[in-house]
Amino acid sequence: MVEAAARRPPASSPSGPLAIRVRRFGEITKEVLRNPTTTIGLVIIASLLLMALMAPIITEANTPDAYQMPRDWGAINEPPGTPGHLLGTTSTGGDVLYGVVWGARTSLRLSVIVVGITMVVGTIMGSIAGFIGGKVDEIIMRLVDVLLAIPELIFALAIAAVLGPSFGNIIFALTVVFWVKYARIIRGQIIHVKHNEYVDSARVIGDSKLNIYRKDVLPNSVTPVVVQATLDMGNIVLVAATLSFIGLAEAGLAEWGVLVSEGQAGISAGRWWASTIPGAMVFLWALAFNLFGDGLRDVLDPRTEGR
Amino acid sequence: MTNLRDDPVGAATRAEERPVITLRGVKKYFPVREGVLQQIVGHVRAVDGVSFEIRQGQTLGLVGESGCGKTTLGRCIAGLTDTTGGGIYFRLSEADRMFLDEMDAVGQDRQTSEQQAKVESIERAHRIDRLKGETWRTYRRNCQFVFQDAFSSLNPRHLVKDIVGRPLRVYKEASGTDLTERVVELLESVGLGRQHLYRYPHQFSGGQRQRISIARALALDPEFIVLDEPTSALDVSVQSQILNLLHKLQQDRGLTYLFITHDLGVVRLMSDEIVVMYVGEVMERAGAQELFASPRHPYTEALLAANPDLLEGDEEAEMRGLEGTVPDPARPPRGCKFHTRCPVATPRCGWEVDDAVAWLSDNSTILEGLGGVERSSDFESVLRFAEPGTAAEAESLLASAAIPDAMRAALVELDQDGPELRIRFEEVDRVRLEDVDVGHMTSCILHTSQADLDSRP
Ligand SMILES: Nc1ncnc2c1ncn2[C@@H]1O[C@H](COP(=O)(O)OP(=O)(O)O)[C@@H](O)[C@H]1O
Ligand code: SF4
Ligand SMILES: [Mg+2]
Repeated sequence: MVEAAARRPPASSPSGPLAIRVRRFGEITKEVLRNPTTTIGLVIIASLLLMALMAPIITEANTPDAYQMPRDWGAINEPPGTPGHLLGTTSTGGDVLYGVVWGARTSLRLSVIVVGITMVVGTIMGSIAGFIGGKVDEIIMRLVDVLLAIPELIFALAIAAVLGPSFGNIIFALTVVFWVKYARIIRGQIIHVKHNEYVDSARVIGDSKLNIYRKDVLPNSVTPVVVQATLDMGNIVLVAATLSFIGLAEAGLAEWGVLVSEGQAGISAGRWWASTIPGAMVFLWALAFNLFGDGLRDVLDPRTEGR
Repeated sequence: MTNLRDDPVGAATRAEERPVITLRGVKKYFPVREGVLQQIVGHVRAVDGVSFEIRQGQTLGLVGESGCGKTTLGRCIAGLTDTTGGGIYFRLSEADRMFLDEMDAVGQDRQTSEQQAKVESIERAHRIDRLKGETWRTYRRNCQFVFQDAFSSLNPRHLVKDIVGRPLRVYKEASGTDLTERVVELLESVGLGRQHLYRYPHQFSGGQRQRISIARALALDPEFIVLDEPTSALDVSVQSQILNLLHKLQQDRGLTYLFITHDLGVVRLMSDEIVVMYVGEVMERAGAQELFASPRHPYTEALLAANPDLLEGDEEAEMRGLEGTVPDPARPPRGCKFHTRCPVATPRCGWEVDDAVAWLSDNSTILEGLGGVERSSDFESVLRFAEPGTAAEAESLLASAAIPDAMRAALVELDQDGPELRIRFEEVDRVRLEDVDVGHMTSCILHTSQADLDSRP
């Protein structure tokens, strides 16, 4: 054959299907780590997740509910550095370190639940709209437009206000609000992707609609959803903290927004730690996922990917 | 080598081969939408009444300028796009086709109920948009498609093994190691091999990717393949390798091809029979040798003139180049669609108001004084000018020797009344494709009996 031989990888490399996929994952990882800001984001995320997962080891879990702040009435308003209370205590005797660590766990739970549900719901709705089209598309997108027209914070606020203040309701409210973005993204992607000739190729060989969606359309549409999900892992914690800050979560919850809210009264008296430290955690969490998400977007950009 | 066929004969001698695909008046119109409400304001007539057959084991070359509807027609045949009118038939016998043609001529209202029942049963058995269940699956397996762009027709996330093996999976023909072996066989038949199984499309050159596409098209051992410009994205040297491969595969497997291209050299190399298309219509159809040796349509001649090395001794044709632009398929010319560019157009070729307006706008500044056009038909309009003087000027221009003789001769009324100028052209029918020789059809009225050119009014 006179044609230029395959350029990559070297023809000698033994390659089975699994090896190929592992190598591809490795390539993407290497690509991600080439960018220093993305790497910083990834390192912060890894530390935060580690902290959340090891919460019961780092601190002694409160009983009966570990997500409630422990109360030590013998040690209120202790400054950071106090023995036994490394980051100080709150005005109600809550250990700030406990709040930081279990707050990370709360944030992780919150963002995994909300992102998980909204990503799935949004992808399903957007897929139906984009892949089927016509009237179905119109109805779904009307709903999406309406939901998008309302600022998400205000909408979540309204829902949480109606249902009463509890962290569970914040999760619910955020779920209702956040799926539309995914629906919109995936629909746009699908409408673009389904005109590719590899979709027509699959039709010509007679494959079913469902298979074409599963094998051709979805995998080639899903990248921006993954990026958005990464960004939302951070954003949702920020929005939830805002909502609990203004009092929509239960008092005493080991959640960063609640801690900021409860600690703010002491700032004027010089007790900065009870609210600043949890506030910094919210900031760190949101920043880390945004740094990583942005880097991921560049690496997974379909224009550069795999060419 | 002018033709890869070992026995490049005219279609006439092969006419006894049974048709695999039969087109009867196939139309595909795309709606043109405009405005916020996306209202339909017109239709692009991408394919506008095309009829021909593709016979078993043959290559039918479909040639024409870019945008003339070749891809759309190929997609309709492959069932990727639905048609607006007419019918595409699979394995329709000559006798059944003649019966359908006859019944169309009779008209549905005047058919007997027996005849209607027979039409219905033929359509249900052969017309691809009416096929169901097993017959549809048979068609689906037997009609494959190779796309122009081998990059976008291969899923970038699938391995070659999965791409080429996918048809076998869909029809549950093979799985496991059996599937792998079948894929290796297919890859070998297109000049690739086992070492390419676990690679992604982006790891191949353009020619190799097209080989992968061909291997996939062959997987189900189809009878018929639509090849949509399979080599026009490739380098010349690679191009001829792929053409040779396609030819060899056809010989080995008895394949039938619809070979779509805008390249006359390629179509000549590959085809038994050639159909020349222009703005959605067939202009000429003939055996490959016949078409190049004695074209019977000015459009074909113009195409040939653009490729002087393909001409066989006709120096006169070389003089007639292809000028002007392809007409808008949303508003195709009347009569013969080629009349706006035809160097030998006659007064009976379909001259219309648009031609006069286009000529005025190209050759004068008079239309700047145009207030409006009141159109009663494509052939008759009143142009309203701001000043009576401009109208008079336009009249004298259209009556002068400056405009093409044929257009001027077709003007039956040119009447200035104050600022208004009434224009009326002789109304003509759409030209038809007619036999001029055995297996040779053309739509040009110079070569057919459609218009008696000497008895014009
Ligand atoms: N999906 C579509 N929607 C609207 N117009 C189309 C579509 N596909 C093709 N067309 C139009 O139909 C005409 C024929 O196009 P095509 O079949 O691609 O021509 P060719 O393959 O001969 O270059 C062109 O004017 C093109 O713009
Ligand atoms: S009918 Fe023939 S002569 Fe008339 S415009 Fe068409 S091609 Fe030219
Ligand atoms: Mg084309």
